[in-house]
Amino acid sequence: MVQVEGLTKLYGEFVAVNELSFSIQPGEVVGLVGPNGAGKTTTLRCLAGIIPPSRGTVSVGGHDIVRDAIAAKKQLAFFTDEPRLFDYLTVGQHLNFVARIYQVPDYERLGAALLEELEIANKRDALPGELSRGMKQKLAIACGLLHSPRVIYFDEPLTGLDPLGIRRMKDSILKRARDGAAIILSSHLLHLVEEICSRLLILKNGRKIIDGTLAEITRKFSEQPGDASLEEIFFRATSETGAPAPAVPPPLPRGNEP
Amino acid sequence: MIAALLNLQYHVFRNRLVSRFKRLKQPKYLIGAIAGGLYFYFYFVRYLFHGIVGRPGMNLAVSPEHQKLFELLGALALFIIVLLAWLVPHERAALTFTEAEVAFLFPAPITRRNLVHYKLMRSQLGIFFSSLFLTLISRRFGGNVWIHALGWWLILSTLNLHMLGCSFARTMLLDHGISNRFRRLLVFGLAVAMAVGVWVWAKKTLPELDPAAPANLDSVLDYVQRILSTGPAAYLLYPFRLVVRPFLASDAAAFFWALIPALLFFGLHYLWVIYSDVAFEEASVEASQKLAVRLAAVRSGNWQGLKKNRKPRRPWFKLNATGPSATALLWKNLIGVGQIFSPRLWITLLVIMVVVGVSLANARVGQNLLYLMDILIAIALGYSLLLGPQLLRLDFRHDLPVADILKTYPLRGWQIALGEILAPVVVLAAVQWLLLLMGAALVFYLPGKYAALLLAIAFSAVVVLPLLDVLLLLIPNAAVLLFPSWIQTGKDSVRGIEATGQRLIFALGQLLVLTVALVPAVGGFVGVLFLLQLVFGYAAAVPFAALAAAVILAVEAGLGVMLLGRLFERFDVAEEPAN
Repeated sequence: MVQVEGLTKLYGEFVAVNELSFSIQPGEVVGLVGPNGAGKTTTLRCLAGIIPPSRGTVSVGGHDIVRDAIAAKKQLAFFTDEPRLFDYLTVGQHLNFVARIYQVPDYERLGAALLEELEIANKRDALPGELSRGMKQKLAIACGLLHSPRVIYFDEPLTGLDPLGIRRMKDSILKRARDGAAIILSSHLLHLVEEICSRLLILKNGRKIIDGTLAEITRKFSEQPGDASLEEIFFRATSETGAPAPAVPPPLPRGNEP
Repeated sequence: MIAALLNLQYHVFRNRLVSRFKRLKQPKYLIGAIAGGLYFYFYFVRYLFHGIVGRPGMNLAVSPEHQKLFELLGALALFIIVLLAWLVPHERAALTFTEAEVAFLFPAPITRRNLVHYKLMRSQLGIFFSSLFLTLISRRFGGNVWIHALGWWLILSTLNLHMLGCSFARTMLLDHGISNRFRRLLVFGLAVAMAVGVWVWAKKTLPELDPAAPANLDSVLDYVQRILSTGPAAYLLYPFRLVVRPFLASDAAAFFWALIPALLFFGLHYLWVIYSDVAFEEASVEASQKLAVRLAAVRSGNWQGLKKNRKPRRPWFKLNATGPSATALLWKNLIGVGQIFSPRLWITLLVIMVVVGVSLANARVGQNLLYLMDILIAIALGYSLLLGPQLLRLDFRHDLPVADILKTYPLRGWQIALGEILAPVVVLAAVQWLLLLMGAALVFYLPGKYAALLLAIAFSAVVVLPLLDVLLLLIPNAAVLLFPSWIQTGKDSVRGIEATGQRLIFALGQLLVLTVALVPAVGGFVGVLFLLQLVFGYAAAVPFAALAAAVILAVEAGLGVMLLGRLFERFDVAEEPAN
């Protein structure tokens, strides 16, 4: 569904993404992780056609994101870490606007169902300024899912959501995957990645350093089966020496607390 | 503690200055700074020490006979400002701090009085630059530069203290159960009583103004001076005159003698503010949050965000789910323009324009007035072309912060470009057509040989103006995509001399591009007009010439939209330069 070949993004001399290649099948949820500045957001932006790659190709549903951008973009949705909304459009008007952009004739029924699923149906006439951070995120998701995308990119999807919102978001992501969508999820929350991703892609300095299922990666980075959590694997994979991360310091003896 | 706050203020100012100088390494800021510097030099600074040479008519250095009048008028202006400060505001005292200041200073062991001192110190920076700027302006008209600078500083500082003290007093009144309504009623009643007292006293004491006098400005001013300088007005304005007097002093000695009572008055204000023990923290926290939201709105180019109590707006038209996608952007941006331009308003305006036009024409007010009205309409149309594209910014200038979202839409660049610029074009064209309709209604009743020609010109304008609007809007939209940090839309808008310079360069560039774009259209217009007027005369030839020009402009506009679309496709959101 998504085919990436030699994707490279340069900013002058700086290499933000370096020769990245991978592919994602329908129903797969791929976790994109890496330390700050690893090139995760730049990669997602290239995959979504927001910024052009300097080299390499990205194909979405068989359509090149540069040469056949319209057909490719019709199949995807990109959710940024900060919900980007138009502050003078109400929730309902957002859906109306997006429906016209993506030509969704049945948007009223679909939109109502999405608002219901995301529990913001009672906010249909509210402006974004009247919504909480989590509700804004939900509105952005409703807009993105309105045209039933087959490829979905999430950049830090849980930011600002309450525990119930987090649960619903996880369920929603898994539901889309079960329905056949190919999903890439970029996050620093390793427990989220561990919980819902079927595959992991770890980037560092713009390069892919790991690509595999959780079981494969655990096997590769564990000295004994099951001895390392994803967090531990992440630290081992991304540290320069490959040494494990420093352990949590022991508690101070009683009476020495600050 | 004060030393720590001073240190904070010093470092904030110093770091800001250093970052300003550092960014001059970038050519765009350096060029902007040079252009802005030259502008300020030629228009203000070179007059700083010797006024306007060779323009005696402009030299408004205060002559002794006018000094008292200016002092009285200045005092009256201050009096009105102060009166409004007591009358209008309804909020509790809220010293405006930034969110960072609230986060660091409010939980810190700093007394309320020290916070007020910090606020006063901080406001001095703004007052210093305001005084400098006002001196640059006022010095163009003569007077001593140091006297002007110190005079402005004294006026602004005293006013600042008074506003602060006034807000504290309002809060204390609220705390004592005196409502805003009662306070306003009291202040308004006092103001009316004072005005009536002055009027009655002037009626009884001063000789009537000569009926012929209004034609003579000097006698009117003399009458005003007598009202303000004698009787009750003299007592009311006396403290305000003390504040204004140093600014108007003719020499150093006069300034010195005027300064003593003014500083005393300033000191009294300072004591008033410092010894007012009013809880302002809660309101300040709220104000700082509001300020942060407003700043974020302005910095993202969203001036609509400044409006309080924003309500959902009805769309201008129903947007179907299928059809040309660019229409969705027009629909969205028209909602952003606001209810002020609702269809109901357009119909009302249309009716008013036609009724006024027809009434004026039927009233037989004379041809000269009708011609004058048409000239005024032509001027208004000219201004709509000049100012409209600057004021109506619901296009890329507004939406650039969400460019990444626009780029995910399955639309071609030209479709997004067209959709983005259509809303301001629609609004601008509608205003222009209304003006043209009114002008045409007047012309229709105008006897004379030029009526047909004027109607032909009006018809031509109907066709040509929207296309000109498109061209005029294409230029700033292309500029914002080419030089995003030069236009007021980024996350951190640029301020200072370099920003002024950048705007000047941009305005000149816009003029140049427009001139180049107009050359073929003007050529086409003149060519067709010349040929057709030989056969049909000017009145009949003008519309055809305008159509020829419109075709050329339409081709240019179409090419411009395609080019704008290409620019948007190539616009790299990640390379959006930070300031």
